[in-house]
This record gives sequence, structure tokens and C-alpha cells, in this order.
Amino acid sequence: MLTGCSEGGSKAGNDKNDKEQQENAARQQSSIPFGDDKDSQGPAPEVPGAKSGGAISVLARDSYAHLDPGQIYVQDEMAVSQLIHRGLTGYKATSDDGRKHEVVGDLATDPGTTTDGGKTWKFTLKDGIKWEDGSPITSKDVRHSVERLFAPFINQGPPYLQQWLADTPGADYRKLLPDGPYKGKHLPDTLLETPDDKTVVFKFKTARPDLPYALAMAGYAIVSQKGDTKTKYDRDPVAAGPYKIQEFKSGKSMTLVRNENWDPKTDPLRHQYADRFDISFNHQYEQSTKALLADNGKDKTAVSFSNSVDAGNLSKVLNDPKLKNRTVTGYQPYVGQMNINLSHPELKDIKIRQAIAHALPVTPFVRAYGGTDAMEVAGGILSPTVSGYDPAFDPWGKKKKPAGDPAKAKKLLEEAGKVGMKLTFGYINTPEGQQYSTAMAAGLEKAGFDVQRQEIPAETFYDQVSQLDNNYDIFHTAWGADWPSASTVIPPLYDGRAIAEGAQNYSQVNDPKINSEIDRISKITDPAKAAAEWGKLNEYIVKDVVNVVPTGYYKQVQIAGSKIGGLVYDDVISGVDPRRLYVK
Amino acid sequence: MLRFLVRRALGAAVILFLLSIVTFLIFFGMPRDPALLICGKSCTPANLENIRHVLGLDQSIPEQYWLFLQNLVLGSNDYLQGPCPAPCFGYSFHTGEAVWDTLIDRLPTTVSLTIGGAVCFLIFGLGTGLLAAWRRGTLIDKAATATAMVVSSMQIYFLGPLALAILVYQMQLFDKPAYNEFTKDPVAWFGGLVIPWVILSTIFAAQYTRMARSAMIEQLQEDHVRTARAKGMSRRYVFFRYAWRGSLIPIVTIFGIDMGSLLGGAIITEYTFGLPGLGRLAVDAVSFSDLPLLLGVMLFSAAMILLFNIVVDAAYAFIDPRVRLS
Repeated sequence: MLTGCSEGGSKAGNDKNDKEQQENAARQQSSIPFGDDKDSQGPAPEVPGAKSGGAISVLARDSYAHLDPGQIYVQDEMAVSQLIHRGLTGYKATSDDGRKHEVVGDLATDPGTTTDGGKTWKFTLKDGIKWEDGSPITSKDVRHSVERLFAPFINQGPPYLQQWLADTPGADYRKLLPDGPYKGKHLPDTLLETPDDKTVVFKFKTARPDLPYALAMAGYAIVSQKGDTKTKYDRDPVAAGPYKIQEFKSGKSMTLVRNENWDPKTDPLRHQYADRFDISFNHQYEQSTKALLADNGKDKTAVSFSNSVDAGNLSKVLNDPKLKNRTVTGYQPYVGQMNINLSHPELKDIKIRQAIAHALPVTPFVRAYGGTDAMEVAGGILSPTVSGYDPAFDPWGKKKKPAGDPAKAKKLLEEAGKVGMKLTFGYINTPEGQQYSTAMAAGLEKAGFDVQRQEIPAETFYDQVSQLDNNYDIFHTAWGADWPSASTVIPPLYDGRAIAEGAQNYSQVNDPKINSEIDRISKITDPAKAAAEWGKLNEYIVKDVVNVVPTGYYKQVQIAGSKIGGLVYDDVISGVDPRRLYVK
Repeated sequence: MLRFLVRRALGAAVILFLLSIVTFLIFFGMPRDPALLICGKSCTPANLENIRHVLGLDQSIPEQYWLFLQNLVLGSNDYLQGPCPAPCFGYSFHTGEAVWDTLIDRLPTTVSLTIGGAVCFLIFGLGTGLLAAWRRGTLIDKAATATAMVVSSMQIYFLGPLALAILVYQMQLFDKPAYNEFTKDPVAWFGGLVIPWVILSTIFAAQYTRMARSAMIEQLQEDHVRTARAKGMSRRYVFFRYAWRGSLIPIVTIFGIDMGSLLGGAIITEYTFGLPGLGRLAVDAVSFSDLPLLLGVMLFSAAMILLFNIVVDAAYAFIDPRVRLS
């Protein structure tokens, strides 16, 4: 029933793709380990069959709003930053298919060392690392990069490191260095120490075992102190990676050319196969898909870092054997979930929440996004790309009965004495939202709820549902992990102490066990052990607390021209890995 | 004439001033918060407050408007953004770029699209209209009129993707639409815009066909035209020398308005073909609740329309000597 639309005539192809995606996800069920100093040495392992030279065209929908690492927090900018910027750590693919990774030192000689369980982290910079102008990258640049994250104009990147240094949640961290490093003040050595040109030491009051993961984010790449032009850096940053920006015309195009001062011996992550990347913007998904399918002229050497295959062409792309070697598929980090607003007294009754969980049909949600090729029924709140994901976990039986179980739900409602209970469903007024909310409401009504749908404009949706006194009983949101650990999913979404106006604990859950478990697991320094514990907490939240009902794991299909080599979908990047592409 | 132009220019300035106030008020009446769009997934109230402060949205609306006017006339020199010489429209909320630079950067695409499109729709539209008027009542007239009706009922968002699918991806007769700078590669400029020109012109051409036909038919029934024919002048001479000139007034009027509108951005055409012009910029400005960019695009587009209105008014004097006399 779930796959009724997309399966027709192409079951075999879909089975193959599903298998591939499950395999892809399987590697994520174990956590991503930290490598050592040997793993952190360059050059990166050669991509089989790779050739040097040629120009790669990149078709993108949106222009890059930000190129300043401190401002980068969206996928397309993260993807291009892999070519331009470098950070202290990075994710290294440990297999040619790009499905296994480890965290290694990028500019640093290793992924960081700690001797006190994650309170103090020491990094040593490699020899021979340079900016595009040939000047060396030193610990002064690292200090400057960290300190400028506190400046008022840096307001769009990830906040983790700043919050950890200030040991405070929210945006209070700005009080630590309100003007950044621009008015002569600096972070004290008790927080960030740079005793010489090569050494960087982070000191936290609370153990931060995830630091190597966090520092691998594009948002924490290093900025040149000498070349820092404050807000203008966002348009014209100084490169440390294998490519530098030759020309950027916002909204039109960008040309990346080889950075002669990048030394492959210092870089375990990147290659410099192509001479040039010619990126052009304003290509809608349908246009880029058609162009890449047609495979004419320049499009033979074209790829897209972020554009997915459009919904109309998904089945064609996935089921045409001729396209197989130039198509990649994978999961995105996002998980859809129906929030149950616990600030509403009637919803504090667990039986009502269980009734919602049983009754809620997820089929409409999957269909609205293009069927099973674009969305997979979710069992838990951890995506297949996050360590701790368990494919067998499905407490509400959504994988077997995606249309919901109204009979069970009705029984629970009867037990609670709430048959006919009014349920206000706030839905986003996108085409998808319109589509799935109608069918979801109908499914809930079958169980005995009286569902009142209320439209919320897409532009203000998250603003409205994050208000503490909103009147929506249920509403659907999606959340993506910032790195493949549940530490970037569970604490921001379900920590009861983080309930605030505009914050992300949308269901306003404040469960003592969740709160204490978050504190306990956050201190576990072994990534594998932490992943297992996060997995258990995920099960407790979904099965026992029932403040959210998981709906779908977002998937993505991408296609490239026939002359593009090294094409791999990287789960960490959530798309084509641009670092290993070459022209055949 | 100079006095006329000065008077019209002053009138245009007043209109632009009023428009800027209206745009400002409409923006703040919109049910969306630009700071929230920027704030992103890890948004907190404190971060939201910081963004509002950086964008200047924590000031009152009159204060913000006054600052906007001040920067527009005098320029600004913000310590973070650097100098922004007049006319300073400020910096985009979304990209942080100077709005004026962005407008100037996008203008060549829109100008190229407009000029090429105008040439196409004038040739197709007027040519067909004149032919229909010349052959009034014949099969040619009926076919031209019917074609104009059919084409004008089609839309760019239908014809555009259709043309791309058939002419570009399937038959590979044309390059994929793109804007290439004329000064760098005129051939690529032409090749990249030819489909957008033709598609854009279809909508306008039909309108000009009908307008040229009816204006010519009306003119051909005028006394001076009949007198000219009675004096023995050839039909062709009278058609082009007398009737055509007389029918130009309404055509020039509409043409001026169309040019002004197109130079403000052919939104659907630019969006359909992925061309980075002013129309596309207007869509982005609304999508991202980008007040400085929205103001910039609105005022720039309005200025284009007003400018072409003045040009049209001035052109009347050259087309029709009676206007000069009055």
C-alpha cells in the first residue's frame, strides 16, 4: 500500500535500491571512530581510475549566501566548502564507495588528544599547511577563527563550540567575547591556549567528547587572520583547500581553480583532480535532472552537489540500467516527526498519545514527498545516518502498517474516555503539507479523534510551533543531525531544561529520565558506547514517553553526467562527495 | 522640452519616494520575521535578538526608514560592512552584499533579455499585424488573428519548459539557456538567450499583432488617408507613409510601458530559464524577506517604468507634430 504509486512496473529496481540504501545505512549503525596520526597523514588514497585535468560543471539551484566558514550551516554551502576550506579535523572515507568513515586530523596531526575525558583537547598543526597566498597557517589563525565566532555578525553557523567554551546553552555565549577579536579582547588561556605556532588547546569546564566531530563541521573551518575582511569574508574567503575562488558572481556563477599552495601531502581527505569547477546557479531540480539525463555537450562533465533528481523523474532514473553508473542514492540526516504538544493538559494522558501514535498514518507523508524513493517510513527518531540507529526498532508498527492502526487507537481512546476528543493539527501550507495533513487528519478521525486542521504559513511555521503557548495539539517537524551522533538530535529536541520561546523542544517534553540520561550519555568518551546509549534513549522517548511519532527518513537521489568519475554519495556530506570527482 | 522633462523627473522622484514608504510599510505588515529566517535551526531568543540588532530591525520603523533615506542620499560607512557610497540601498539581509552592486550586476541579464525579446516581438508582432491589416478579410488576416489569439492564451511557464525539452534536450538544436556576457563572447550571449527571447516574445507579439492590425485598420479609414489615395498615391505609399505613422502613437505608448516593466524584471521568463536577472532577484527578495533588496528592486523597477513613460511622452513629440504644437 505504501509503495503503491512508485512500485508499479519497477519492483525489482526498487528492491535493489532499497537494499543498497539499507547497506548504506548499515555502516552507520556502528559509530564513526577516531583515527590516529597515521590516518591523518596525506595524501588521500587515490580514487581508482582517476585522471587529472578537465573542468567539471556544477549545476546548483541556490547561490551560496555564505562562504565565510563561521556562517556556513546549510548543505550546499557545506559541500562546496569541502573544496575551499579546511578545519582541524575532518571525515575521511575509509572505503572507495565512500560508505565508511573515520574522524582524522585535517590541518591537525591527529583528531585531537584528551587525557581528562574530554575536558581538555590538544591539537598540533601539521607542517607545510598554507593559505592560498602561500603564508603558513598557524595557531594564531585557529585562535582568530574561534574568537570571531563570538562577533555579532557571525550569526548563522553552528553554536556548539561557542556554547561549550562558555559552558552555557543558548546564545549567552556571546557575552564571553561580545565583539569577537576585533576590539583587542581575546579568549583567556583558561579556555583556549595557543602557546606556539603549532599548538592549540581547548579547555572546557564540562567534558566534550564530541569535539573532534564538531570541529569537522564546515562551520568550524579555519579563517585567515591576515585575510579576515569581517563581513566581506563571506563573499571572498581565503582558501586553504585544494581549490580557490577565481570568481564568484552571487546569484550567477562561481569558478574554482586549483590552489597551487595546497599540498596534497598534508591532506588526507581531498584530491585536486579537476583543473576547475564551473558552478552555475538557478537550476531548478527538474531542469538539472533533465540536463543531466540528456547528457549533451558540457552536461557530460556536469554534476550537482545539492540538487536531487526531481520527483517526476525519480522512477525513470532509478530503474534505467543505463543510468545506474551515474546515479547515487543515500539518506539525508533528516527525520520527520509528529510532535504531540505536552503543554496541553489533555495530552499529558499517555493513552491519548499512544492512540495518536497508533492511529497516525505515515503513508500520506511518504507519498507527499514522492514515495519510497524519496522517503522511508521511520521507526525511531535517529536517522540511518546517525550512530545508534536501529532498523528493527518500530514500536508503533509503522513499517508493517504505515496506514496506521485505528482499531487499536480507538480502544485506547475508549479506555481514556476521550472518544471524539478535539485535536488541533497545525500544518505547514506547502504543497506537501497540504497533501499529507488532509490524509493524516482522516486517519486520526477514523480512530475517533475530532481533528481540526489549522494552516500555518511556511515562512513562519517554525516560529509559530516553537512558541510556548501555541494552540496546536499536534504538528509535524523535521530535524537533521549536525554530525553522525545522536548528541546533535536528542539534547536539542528533548531536553526539558531547554524549553524556551523559539527553542527546538517543540513537544515541550520535560521528562526527568530523558534529562538525566542526556547528562550521563554526554559524558561518555567512547563514541561506540555513547551511540549504544543514545540508541536506548531514542527507544525510551519514542516508545515510553510518546511525545513524538516518527514519520519518515528523508532520502536523496542524485545524477551526474557520463564523463564524471569518482561519483560517490557520502552520508556525512549528505550528497555527492565533491573531493574525489574527476573528468573521465 | 527641457522644462517638460524636468517636471516629469520631479514627479517621478515624488512617486519613488511614496513607493518607498509603501514598500516599507507593506514589508513590516508581512507575517514573517527576516531575523527568524536567518536564525536557522539552532535559533534561540537571544540569538534572534542579536540578529535583529545586527540587521537594525530592533529600531522603530520610522528610525529604520530615516536611516534608509540617509544612506540612500549620503551613503554610509558601517564599521563591519565598510563604506557604501550613495546611492546606498544597504546590504542584503540574506547574502550581506551591497544591494546597489547586486542590482547593477543583474541589470545586464535583464537588459539583454528585454532588448532581444523586444526586437523579436516587434518583428513578429508588428510584421504579422501589418500583414493582417494589409490583407484584411483574407485567409491570411484570419490566420494571423487566430494565431495571435492562440499564442496569447499560452503561458511562458508552459512554452518555456516545452521548448527546453524539445529544442534543447531532445533535438539539441540550441544551447541550454544561460546568460553570457556580450563583451566576452557575443556568440555565446546570443546562443544562450535565443530561446528565452523567442518564448518571451510570443506573449507580447500576439498583443502587438492585434494592436497593429486594429490601429492600421482605423488609420486606413481616416480622412487624410482616403484623401491621399484619392490624390493617386500608391496603396503601399499611403499604407506606410500615412497610416503606419498615425498608428504608432498607441503602439509606442504600450511599447514604452512594456519596456519599463521588462527592465524591472521578466520574472517568469527569468525563473523558467534560470537567468539571473532582476526578476529572479525580486523573487529571492520576497522569499528571504530581504527588506534592503526588496526596496532596491522595487525602486529600481519603478524607476525603469517611470523613465520609459517619460521617454514615451517625449517620443510623441517626434512622432506626432500636433503634440509638439500643443
